[in-house]
Amino acid sequence: MGRHALWRLIQAAPLLLLISLISFLLLYLIPGDPALVAAGPGASADVVAQVRHNMGLDRPFAVQLGLFYARLLHGDLGRSLVLGQPVAEAILQRAPVTLWISLYSLVLTIILGLAAGIAAAVRHNSWVDQIVSVVALLGVSLPNFWLALVMIVIFSVQLGWFPTGGYVAPTTSLAGWFATATMPAVALALLQIGLLTRITRATMLDVLRQDYIRTARAKGLGEALVVGRHALANTMIPIVTVVGIILSVLLSGSVVIETVFAVPGVGALLGNAILARDYPMIQGGLLFVAATLLLLNVGIDVLYAAFDPRVRLGGDDP
Amino acid sequence: MIPLLRHRSFMLGLVLFAAVALVALAAPFIVDADPARMALRLRFKPPSSEFLFGTDNLGRSMLARVCYGGRLSLAIGLAVVALNAVFGVLIGALAGYVPRLDGALMRLSDALMAFPAVLLAIGIAAALGPTASTAVIALAIVYIPRTARILRASVLVVRRLDFVEAARAIGCGHLRIVARHILPNCLAPLIVQLSFVFAYAVLSEAVLSFLGLGAPPSVPSWGILISEGRGYIREAPWLTVVPGIAIAMTVLGLNLMGDGFRDVLDPRLRVEQI
Amino acid sequence: MTRLAAIAPALLALLPGMALADPFKCPRMGGDLAFGLEAKVAGLDQHVSPAGSTRDVTSNIYETLVTRDDTMKPILQLAKSVDVSADQKTFIFHLREGVKFHNGKTMTSDDVLASYQRYQKVGVDRSILDIVDRFETPDASTFTIVLKDTRPTFLESLSYFTVPIVIIPRENANAAPQQLPPVGTGPFQLVEFVADSHVKLKRFEGYTPNTDFTEATGFGGYKQPCLDTVTLRMTSEPAARTAALETGELQGVQDVPTASQKRLAENKSIKLLRLENFWLNVTYPNQSFPPTDNLKVRQAILAAMDMNEIMDAASDGAYKLNPSFQFPGTPYYTEAGKELYNQHNIAKAKQLLQEGGYKGEKVILMTNREYPSMYNTSLVMSEQLKAAGINAELLVLDWPTALQKSVKDNEGWNFFYTGWITVTALGGAQSLRNLADPSNVHKPQGNKSDPEFMAAFRKIESGSTLDERRAAFATAQARAFDQVMAVPFGVMPKVQAMRTNVEGFKPYYSPRFYNVWLTN
Repeated sequence: MGRHALWRLIQAAPLLLLISLISFLLLYLIPGDPALVAAGPGASADVVAQVRHNMGLDRPFAVQLGLFYARLLHGDLGRSLVLGQPVAEAILQRAPVTLWISLYSLVLTIILGLAAGIAAAVRHNSWVDQIVSVVALLGVSLPNFWLALVMIVIFSVQLGWFPTGGYVAPTTSLAGWFATATMPAVALALLQIGLLTRITRATMLDVLRQDYIRTARAKGLGEALVVGRHALANTMIPIVTVVGIILSVLLSGSVVIETVFAVPGVGALLGNAILARDYPMIQGGLLFVAATLLLLNVGIDVLYAAFDPRVRLGGDDP
Repeated sequence: MIPLLRHRSFMLGLVLFAAVALVALAAPFIVDADPARMALRLRFKPPSSEFLFGTDNLGRSMLARVCYGGRLSLAIGLAVVALNAVFGVLIGALAGYVPRLDGALMRLSDALMAFPAVLLAIGIAAALGPTASTAVIALAIVYIPRTARILRASVLVVRRLDFVEAARAIGCGHLRIVARHILPNCLAPLIVQLSFVFAYAVLSEAVLSFLGLGAPPSVPSWGILISEGRGYIREAPWLTVVPGIAIAMTVLGLNLMGDGFRDVLDPRLRVEQI
Repeated sequence: MTRLAAIAPALLALLPGMALADPFKCPRMGGDLAFGLEAKVAGLDQHVSPAGSTRDVTSNIYETLVTRDDTMKPILQLAKSVDVSADQKTFIFHLREGVKFHNGKTMTSDDVLASYQRYQKVGVDRSILDIVDRFETPDASTFTIVLKDTRPTFLESLSYFTVPIVIIPRENANAAPQQLPPVGTGPFQLVEFVADSHVKLKRFEGYTPNTDFTEATGFGGYKQPCLDTVTLRMTSEPAARTAALETGELQGVQDVPTASQKRLAENKSIKLLRLENFWLNVTYPNQSFPPTDNLKVRQAILAAMDMNEIMDAASDGAYKLNPSFQFPGTPYYTEAGKELYNQHNIAKAKQLLQEGGYKGEKVILMTNREYPSMYNTSLVMSEQLKAAGINAELLVLDWPTALQKSVKDNEGWNFFYTGWITVTALGGAQSLRNLADPSNVHKPQGNKSDPEFMAAFRKIESGSTLDERRAAFATAQARAFDQVMAVPFGVMPKVQAMRTNVEGFKPYYSPRFYNVWLTN
């Protein structure tokens, strides 16, 4: 397992290089002048020139690229134009917030998505299946920021169950955390639950058609036992692979959801950076998120291999 | 095609999507109000027989705005699909058919896919500046690698089939083999993928507009209508609810159709495609 | 140097009243006030950040030598008196004794000097100090500014609070832009600043109020921090912000959208607070780009406009017409040039277009999506121009891009939309500085503003009496209307709201949390 993990990490290295290159190009290729944004409104031409020089934007492409990687090796993602704070520091400060809410959302997704998917598959073609399928599809089809706004109106204003926004760290007050994190986590989860339900249902249906399940049933095992012991275990494998996709969608969603609920996480940080045209922050944020996801996916791969030994032998794509 | 017509949820999806698309296409013939005409005295009128979907903060008819707004939202979705069809097929076919290019192309697509889809689109749109065409470009860049990857997988399977070997044996050129023999047999997964890309593009356009990164508000899309209406969600909920439902209908319709295509055309595919 | 009097006649307002009433005393101490800001706070370096969101926080943290009172008159804050020489070139500030910084240090003239030097280097409105010859610190409690030239309005400009010259301790004066540690002399000190979430302030126990006053006024006066802490939450979603006020998560909000005011007014536990003259809705033309380089075309456009309709759309119905570049009821307010405002005369517009030889060239209205009031203004204006036969076209950009283009590019746009808030509130020369050399937002040809306007503008700065300066302002404004250098559409109010248990809060150009207390 250790060797496999190492191998996956080595495989990920060139990908990491490409990701960072894409992030660099994003800032390099923009038609606007980040120095103008950095210098602030009303700055004179020499001030802008000075800022451009300080940011290294007046140097040739190769030099800028080299500097970018030199700084990257030291964990330096540049400095935010708006916050006056290193990008890496700003991101790390907010990462726990996004992490906690994402985890919360992920737990909700897995519990509800699995339950709904299994229920639908076991009661294939029944009314349970129909309802679950429709609701799951709706979850995938609704704009989640729109849902978030509707949730604020219903659950905060009309019913008064949750605050409209803000964030309390779980280390400060667990109750406060539940109050503030629940609506963002649910808004984020709705899309994922839809995804996971659909996949679980499809996989489960496949598994239930397999011979060994038929054999188990034929042996007279109770339905609960068949589903619980035999089917579920085999359903888990493909589902682990979906977690990577779910995490990716989660992080995307956090930009709008954190903005709507005024949650000070990495998503809101990026959302604000976009509004303020804080280019180093956009670049650094994207790079950070992509790299994190990549490493998470490596982790999932390794986990997957632990579940299913065939993968280790199979190696890469055909 | 006949099995599709018997596929219940496909037909439901088709009806939903066709209804929305028809209304958007025929907007000038069914709505007589001008989506841009203001009447300040008529602002914030709730839905009624006079104004089916009510009026907005400047007294403009929401019915007209939602119908005309659909044209832009669907046009953006369609443009993303078209770019995906062209470049996704091109890159996917190259990667699948020319082993020497495979590694490089797939690593590049891996790298692009390592970014969360909407987040990368946001980054690109922010860098290029907010217009409808940058939204299209951003979303195309995000989804093309995903389409290419699916096409490549199909090409890899099809190229090993007997009839392709046969075509090669009788001396057909590569281009002819790919165009005549391989691609037609990869159509099913492509259609499935493109219907999902359409759905995601409509949803993501709304997200970009919400963040102020889509088309300018002078040519409203559904995303812009929601974004403009959100300040009035308590006083005039119809400003956000109606375009939200329009988006949901479209995306739901496309998703149902995608499911149907998959069930009927390509039953082997199971894993969710994004 | 002759010292005339302790206080120059023009500055009588600076003299504290002789028989003072008892100073303000907090009826109740303690508690936390949660207040919803409408924008993300763009850093806390008050020398460098031009954003209003910065001042919304720092006006409670920092103080200045001179500031304005509620009626916009200059008043002293960290100085107890100022001697002005007869030639009005030397200003000797006698600092208040025993004023402490949040770090416990006592403020001396050396800190004031360091603050002014930093502002001269990086401060946004550093052009105010262009006229300064040198600073002197004869002793620890005296700070002297010597000017190169006479400037009767120098104290007026020194008290500008758009980006005020706040006093910071010497040891922080070398901080790079946006890196200034937030240490001031104000009634509240910073606890934490989480960039896109909230700012927490707490009472500065060592605060020394200015006993020359008995009440807070403007950004000065006798200030007392009654609250233990103030939590400023950045709540940029209007719907979420008002909802949080209604549920009681917030005790106050900085902005209530017009559409929500009716509902909040019916809520018994919420009171609405209006600042009548907050925002002057403005557009200005690009005088370097055809067809608005043509005076007749500009005049035609001005003739075509119906300000009622424009303001109605811009403000959702809450506005006042205002044929002036000043807010009504302020010293420089004038309606000079009024006959050119709100003409709504299509026939005249068409006539002027013909005289100007207008041939249907595009008129590009460059607006933005972030500020609905600006967007709606441009939208209605474009309809009105079209009705007069002008080929108007909207160019909708995001605000930073539009602002940048309006500054940088002489081409590709004909009208730019913005809002003037503090520049208008501060009155006098500051209100028209955007149209004067070298600022010239309206891009006059050769970057030289209209000579007639400039002559009047200089008198607004140099006139020795207020009447002389007022007359000059009227002349300048009439000229600005006639040459269509900028167009004021009207005034929009700022409506803030507080829960009823918050007492003492008075709306101003930034929220002030001193002399505010919580009941129950």
